[in-house]
Amino acid sequence: MATIKELSEKKPWLNWVLFFGTVVIVFLIGLFAASIVERRSEAQLYFQMVKPIPDWEPRHEVWGQNFPRQYESYMMTQDTTFESRYYGSVMIDYLEKYPELVIMWAGYAFARDYNQGRGHYYSVTDVHNTLRTVQPQPATCWTCKSTDVPRVMNEIGVREFYSSSWSDMGSEIVNSIGCQDCHDPQTMNLRITRPALAEAFERQGRNIEHATHQEMRSLVCAQCHVEYYFKGEETYLTFPWDMGFSADDMEAYFDYHEFTDWVHGLSRAPMLKAQHPDYELFKTGIHAERGVSCADCHMPYQREGGMKFTNHHLQSPLNNIAGSCQVCHRESEETLLQNVYDRQARISELRRITEKNLARLHLEAKAAWDAGATEEEMHDVLQLIRHAQWRWDWVAAANSMGFHSPNEALRVLGTSIQKSQEARVHLARIFGRYGVPQPLELPDFSTKEKAQEIVGLDMAQIRSQKADFKQNVLPVWLEEARQREAAYNLP
Amino acid sequence: MIKKLILFLEPPPGWKPAVVILLGVFTGIALLVFHASEAQSYISDKPETCINCHVMYPQYASWAKSSHRETATCAECHVPQDNVFSKYYVKGTDGMRHAYVFTARAEPQTIEIKQRGINVVQDNCIRCHQDLVEMTRLVEVTGRNHLEGEGHRCWDCHRDVPHGTVRSLSSAPYSLVPRLPSIMPQWLRDFLGGERE
Repeated sequence: MATIKELSEKKPWLNWVLFFGTVVIVFLIGLFAASIVERRSEAQLYFQMVKPIPDWEPRHEVWGQNFPRQYESYMMTQDTTFESRYYGSVMIDYLEKYPELVIMWAGYAFARDYNQGRGHYYSVTDVHNTLRTVQPQPATCWTCKSTDVPRVMNEIGVREFYSSSWSDMGSEIVNSIGCQDCHDPQTMNLRITRPALAEAFERQGRNIEHATHQEMRSLVCAQCHVEYYFKGEETYLTFPWDMGFSADDMEAYFDYHEFTDWVHGLSRAPMLKAQHPDYELFKTGIHAERGVSCADCHMPYQREGGMKFTNHHLQSPLNNIAGSCQVCHRESEETLLQNVYDRQARISELRRITEKNLARLHLEAKAAWDAGATEEEMHDVLQLIRHAQWRWDWVAAANSMGFHSPNEALRVLGTSIQKSQEARVHLARIFGRYGVPQPLELPDFSTKEKAQEIVGLDMAQIRSQKADFKQNVLPVWLEEARQREAAYNLP
Repeated sequence: MIKKLILFLEPPPGWKPAVVILLGVFTGIALLVFHASEAQSYISDKPETCINCHVMYPQYASWAKSSHRETATCAECHVPQDNVFSKYYVKGTDGMRHAYVFTARAEPQTIEIKQRGINVVQDNCIRCHQDLVEMTRLVEVTGRNHLEGEGHRCWDCHRDVPHGTVRSLSSAPYSLVPRLPSIMPQWLRDFLGGERE
């Protein structure tokens, strides 16, 4: 065995190996020491704003300079790969999946195009893309789509904003839903930027200014994730909460005000369209009862090093069961996922029954009209159809496949089924009176295309109009917006 | 044997001082790592040792507000107390895993206890509360049956003992827990005009 002395005399290059080997080892140990010190000190970091944010600043990247963690997690809403059993961030063509919906929305823009929404990042893009905006729409539609809305409302006034047309605002509304919609630029406190929610509270005799922080962690979402309608000539955004908060109460409210979203193209029923009453449904559930807020599951707190922050990747909690459910629930991820699916499967089952019922009902009502039924004979049938579809929609339009409140979702769907069956009893009598042969032969609406043909939609023309808009109008809007924002003197 | 090793490693005569200095550098860096990581504290059973890593703040804070703080420290429940060998074996292996996870920034948002830890805690519940479970014959339910997947664990019912029912890294972010002292000694910071702790 030669000693190191002898080795290094024989092979001088070994000394270099030793030298560099030592350098690497010392370097690594030094890094390790630095890492220890770093992780010790990060426990003492605190909130710091590096750059003041101007009032009504619509661009997320400007806010993001101060709040990189929130901004980066928000940008994750671009991701469209997550798919749970019923939802996720992936785009689902609902009309493809449930062709009955086309029949149910005959004479209404939803029969053209209806998808599972993607993340907030796409809120403006998807409004540009949807075939529902081929026909003229009021600017009220923009209310929940962009951080530019508070800015424009501040410039021209709320009423003026609502009474403009959708395309008037085309070049003004470009930034997706984001920071400014929920935050005060000076203090970062949660704030309400959409008047409709504050007004609804006022009419109920409550003051939204008095909400606690935990309530605000739901109320900022309730600015948009609620049922609403456009009131009167000026299409003033209004929440139908004055007579109560449940599906039944809102139905009574609409009946009392004799409000109708559209007259059905086949059954001629005075229809209602429910728009994602997520907040209302959630408030009837056990999680709301225990004081859980929207953000607790959809934007759970997270720690990165010593910093606690809210994860702004708004998404299905099923994509982050550990951060969402397991904070309070001790079961394994698989168990919790199964618990959610078990409930959703039951709700989905009833929901499919209601859809099949309703599609059939509209076609049967049309057959009754064709056989010569009178307004008077049809009155009760049409009211029942209106209510049955409203109740289906109240659950179906809400995200979560009813999980926000499984019991209430099942109850409301149950009453929808009951009302449809009642309508069919009336119809059977009318058919008997006019000698319509039963059971009725229904047309084939097993695919989206077949169904759209039945309701008389010229999809080719609608698509070409959309293509024309995207080629000729949209670029002009975006260019105008770009020039306006360039004048904001971006760093 | 040792003689042979020294002979093997012995540098040429002119190099001896350099090698000694280098060995000193190594030892110094090793001591710095030792000091910065509060390595000496891991020998003790003090709860403050466990919050060398700030990941454990919520656990410390909830325990410090619980009735157990009077008698049971972290190790009292989370480390076997039956004999010195299993005590240090579990403490050492758990400690090394924790150190690795924390250094690699791989901590999950909700820390979950592993099966071995579950067994240790369950045994320790019974170790102190023997009289209670024997009196009510609950020992048949809780005892060691849980090892075979039978019966229940104490905290299946006593859900909030002692860390509360809400658990995540963020559940107690502003808790007042003892912070680690600065790595620099006070006299040195005085000398450099730094802030006092």
